[in-house]
Amino acid sequence: MANLDYAYRRLLNTLGPERVARSEFERMVYSHDFASVPKIALLQWRLYPDFVALPKTSEEVSALVKLSDESLLPITPRGGGTGWYGGSVPNRGGVLFDMRRMNRVVGLDPDGRTVTAEAGVTWKELEDHVESKGFALRTVPLNAIGSTVGGAINSASVGFGGLRGGSLRDSVANLEVILPDGSLLKTAAAADAGGQLADLTPLFLGAEGTLGIITKAVLRLVPKPEVTKPVTYGFAEPAAAARYLKGIVDAGLAPYHAALIDRDHFVFERALRPDSPDPVDLALVAVQGSKDEVSDQEKTLDALAKEYSGTKLPPTVGEGLWRERYNNYSARRLSRGLTISYNLVPLRRLPEAVETALRLRDKLKLNGSVQAHLVDTTTAALQPYVLMDDTKPSGGTALGFVKRMGDAAFKLGGHSMGLGLFLVFNLRKMHGNATGAYSAVKGVFDPRKKINGGKTFEVWTKYPWPGIRAIPPPGMAIGLEVAALLRRAKPTRDRFVRTYEASKGG
Amino acid sequence: MGLLRDWNYVERAVQIPALSEVIREALIRALFVRDDRVLPADLIGDLNRVPRVTVKVKDDGEVRKLVRVLNGEESTVSLGLNAEDYHYFRTQLGVGRTREFGLVPRPRALLTYDWIVPEQRGVQLDFSAYGAIEFAGDGHRAIAQVGATWKQLYDDALSKGHAVPFVPTVPLDFAVGDGLFGDAPFASFRGDFGTYVNGLRTISPYGHRARIGFEEVANNGTAYDLLHATLPLAAEFFVPVEVALRLEAKPANRKTLTYSFEDGPKLSAALDRLSRSGPGIGWVHVTDAVAAKTLRPAVPPEAFTVQLSLAATATGLAAREKAVDAAMAGFKSKGAETPSPFEVPAAAYRKTAEAVGRSVFVGEVRIPAKLLGDFIGKVRAFGDQSSARAGVYASLRDTGIASAFPSFAAPKDRDKVYDLSKGVRTIVSGTPGAAFTSRLAHLWEEEPGFLRRMALLRSLKLEIDAAHVVQPLIAP
Repeated sequence: MANLDYAYRRLLNTLGPERVARSEFERMVYSHDFASVPKIALLQWRLYPDFVALPKTSEEVSALVKLSDESLLPITPRGGGTGWYGGSVPNRGGVLFDMRRMNRVVGLDPDGRTVTAEAGVTWKELEDHVESKGFALRTVPLNAIGSTVGGAINSASVGFGGLRGGSLRDSVANLEVILPDGSLLKTAAAADAGGQLADLTPLFLGAEGTLGIITKAVLRLVPKPEVTKPVTYGFAEPAAAARYLKGIVDAGLAPYHAALIDRDHFVFERALRPDSPDPVDLALVAVQGSKDEVSDQEKTLDALAKEYSGTKLPPTVGEGLWRERYNNYSARRLSRGLTISYNLVPLRRLPEAVETALRLRDKLKLNGSVQAHLVDTTTAALQPYVLMDDTKPSGGTALGFVKRMGDAAFKLGGHSMGLGLFLVFNLRKMHGNATGAYSAVKGVFDPRKKINGGKTFEVWTKYPWPGIRAIPPPGMAIGLEVAALLRRAKPTRDRFVRTYEASKGG
Repeated sequence: MGLLRDWNYVERAVQIPALSEVIREALIRALFVRDDRVLPADLIGDLNRVPRVTVKVKDDGEVRKLVRVLNGEESTVSLGLNAEDYHYFRTQLGVGRTREFGLVPRPRALLTYDWIVPEQRGVQLDFSAYGAIEFAGDGHRAIAQVGATWKQLYDDALSKGHAVPFVPTVPLDFAVGDGLFGDAPFASFRGDFGTYVNGLRTISPYGHRARIGFEEVANNGTAYDLLHATLPLAAEFFVPVEVALRLEAKPANRKTLTYSFEDGPKLSAALDRLSRSGPGIGWVHVTDAVAAKTLRPAVPPEAFTVQLSLAATATGLAAREKAVDAAMAGFKSKGAETPSPFEVPAAAYRKTAEAVGRSVFVGEVRIPAKLLGDFIGKVRAFGDQSSARAGVYASLRDTGIASAFPSFAAPKDRDKVYDLSKGVRTIVSGTPGAAFTSRLAHLWEEEPGFLRRMALLRSLKLEIDAAHVVQPLIAP
C-alpha cells in the first residue's frame, strides 16, 4: 500500500484541497451510517476512512477509482448515509467517496417521461424538481430527505408508491456506473428495450456499491396526480391495522401508500413535540387521482375500515403525518441513537409479523415502535425501530433485536433487507443453494475486490494477517445473538420516555 | 429468450480468419439461413446438429439427475432407465466420448424462430407434462410449473379469486415457462413479465435445487437482483422448473372496453393520453385491421382496434370509464360487447392461437405510443412491398411505450424471415426512441456499450455455469 501522505497528495491533485478531507472529525462523521454502531466495533474494523473524497463529476469518480490502483487503498462509496447495515462505512479505512456533491438534476424528458439525476441528489430534491414540472416519481424511499438516488438504488429501497408504481427496479430505466477498472458503463440501452438488449440494471439494484459506483440514474416518471389525500384510521391494536392493510389488497384497491404505525411511535413523538397526534395504533393511507376518484377511493376505504373495526381519525392527523412522512425517526433524539430492522414479509402474514415484532421488542426490554407498509400485492415491509444509547455499555446490545427480527422474518417466509457489513450472515438464509451464483456477480465485475470489498459476501476485519483477515459470516450472527441474550438478561427496561415506561408498566 | 449461445457463436465466428472478410451482417445471414455457399462445412455441421434425446419431464428430480449425469458428477446408470432406453440414451448422446453435452428446455410455443445454434447433440427437456399450478390459500400468488399454460393459469386464477395481471400481446398458447426460455410476450399495462415474478425454482448446473428470488415476497435488499437481470435468459444460467408469480385480487367490478379508430395519428394521440391516465387499467391491447381479423374473425375489422380491461370500485367504474373515454378522444366507435381474446373458453383460445400462429412474427418493437400509428402504417407498406401482408399486435405500457409485434402472411422459411426482420429493423432505425429487440436484432447490434454488457453477461454465465451444462456456449 502506498504511503498515506503520497495518496493524499494524489487525491489533492485530482480534486483540489476543498474536496478532500482527512481531519479526525470529518472521518469520524463517516464512520457510521444511520444505525448506531457501538464503539466495540472499532476492535474489528477500521470504520474511519483515511480520506474522504467529494467528487463532482463522473470523470472525477473514474480518476479516483483508477488512482486506487496506485495507492491500493480500498474504496467505499456513500450516498446520504441513511442505510442501517454498514454498507457505506469502511471496514479497512481507505478512501470514502461521498457522492453528495454530484447533486444535479441533469435533465427531464417530458416526452419520454424520464428524469436523469446524478447519484447524490436526494429523493426529496428530485421529487420537488419533477413535481415542479408536472410529473411525479413512481416510487420514493421512506427517508427521502437524506436518502440519495444512488444510495437507494444500491440498497434496493422500498417506500412510497410501490403498490401503484411498481418497485424501484421498475422505476430505474438506466444507470451510469463507474466500474472498478475506472471505465464507464451504461447498464441499459438508450431506448426503452423492456429488459432486453442486455439490460444489467437489475444487478445494481441492491448491490450495496460492491460492483461499481453509480454516478447517474435515469428514472421513469408518471404525470403528477391532481390530488393526493392522506386518510387515517385508528385500530384497537397494531395487528388489526395490519389486517386492514391486507384487506386493502384483497379488495383490489391500489392506493399510493398504505402503512401502519403503532401507538408507541406517537408516545415518542409527543415527548418531543406536544402537538403530535394522540397515541393510537393507526393505518395511514394516501390516495391519488382526480377529485372524484380520490373521493370514491376514500369512501371505499372508509367502508373497508369499518369492516375491520377501524375508526376514521380527523383529517388533521393524516395531513400532519403526510407532511412529515419523510421525517420518521426523530425519536432518536430521546436516546442518542436508534436502530431499525428492515424486513420484507408475506402480506398474508403481516398481522403475525407485527405481533412477533412487538413481542421481541418487549422480550428484549427495548423502547421501540413497529411500523409497516405495503410494497406490492404479496409483500409488506416491516420496519420496527428501537431506541438505543450507544454511549452506554448496554446500548449496543439493542442490535440483537435486528438479528432476532431478521430471523423471525425468514421464519415467516420473508427476509431481512440489506447485508453490508453487519448482516452478511443472512446471505445464505436468503439464497440457499443459489448463494454461489450471487457471489459470482462480484467476481465478474470486481475480481480484485477494490470497491466496497469484504462486505455483502464476506466479512473482512481490519487486520491484514492470514487467519483473522476475515471472519466467517456466522461469527457475526453469534455476536449479535450474544447481544440479544445479554439484552434479555438485563434486569431493567431502558428508560428514555417516562410515559412510555408507564404504559409498559415500567 | 435463449441468446447467449447464438451471440457467442457469432462473436467467435467473426474472428475466424477465413470469415473475417465477410461482413458481420452477411455472416449472421449465412448462419441464420444455413447458407453452405458462404459457410465452411464445419459451421454448417454445428448448425445442423440437434439434441438427440428429448426427455419428457414429470418431476424436477429427473432434471436434477440429468444435470448431474451431463456435468459428469454421476454416470448414466443413476438415471434408472430400463435396458433399452439406457442403450438408446448412451448411443444417441455418444456417452463415453470426450465431448460435453448440455441441456436445453423446449418452449411450448415459439413466437418468432428457433435458435441459430442448436443444442449440440445434448438433451432437450420437454416440460409439457410438468404443468401443475399451486395457488396460495390466503394471498394472491401462485407457483406454476413451467409447463403450465398461460391460459390455464389465467382461468384457474379467476376461479380462485385472483387475477393474472399479464397477458400475451400475441395470443399464442404459451406456457408460463415460455416467458423464460421462449419468447412469450407477456405484459400488462403496469409492467412486464418480470414485474410479476417473485422468484424461480431452478435446478442449478450442479444439480441442486436453487431458488432465485423468493416465493412470497419481493427480493429488494438481498444483494444483486440476479432474478430480473437474468430473467430473459434464465435458462442459460439455470434450469427453471417453477415460477413464483405475484397475482392480484380478482376485481369485483371490471369491464372490457373496445374502441375503434380510423386513422393512425388519432390512435397514437389517444394511446399517449391513455398511458398517462391513471389507475384501474389491467391491460391495453391494440390491433390493426389484419390482426383484428385473425383475432376476431366474426367481428368486422376496423382500421385500428384498442381493447382494454378496466377495474374499479362499483361506484368508481363509471368515473374511470369516463376518464378513459376522455383519453381515447377521437375514436370512431366504442363498445363493451366485443369479447376479450383472453377470456374466451380454452378451446376457442387455442383455435385462435393456431390461426394467429400461422403468421410470421419477427420479434418485438418497443416504440413510443405516440408513434405507433405511424409505425403500423410503415410496417403495412413494407409488407405490401415484400408481398407479405402485414399486421400488428401491440400492447401499451403506462410508461408511454408500446410493445408492437409485426406479423406477416408469408411462408415460414428462414430466408423470408430474415429479410422481413431486416425490413422491420430498417423501419425501427428511422424511428426515434424505438428499439427492435428480436434475437436477430441482438446479433446485429454492434454498439460498444451493448457488446460490453453482453460480454459481462457471458462472463457471468461462465461463472455460474462453470460445469458447462445449461445450454453451454460453443465456438465454431
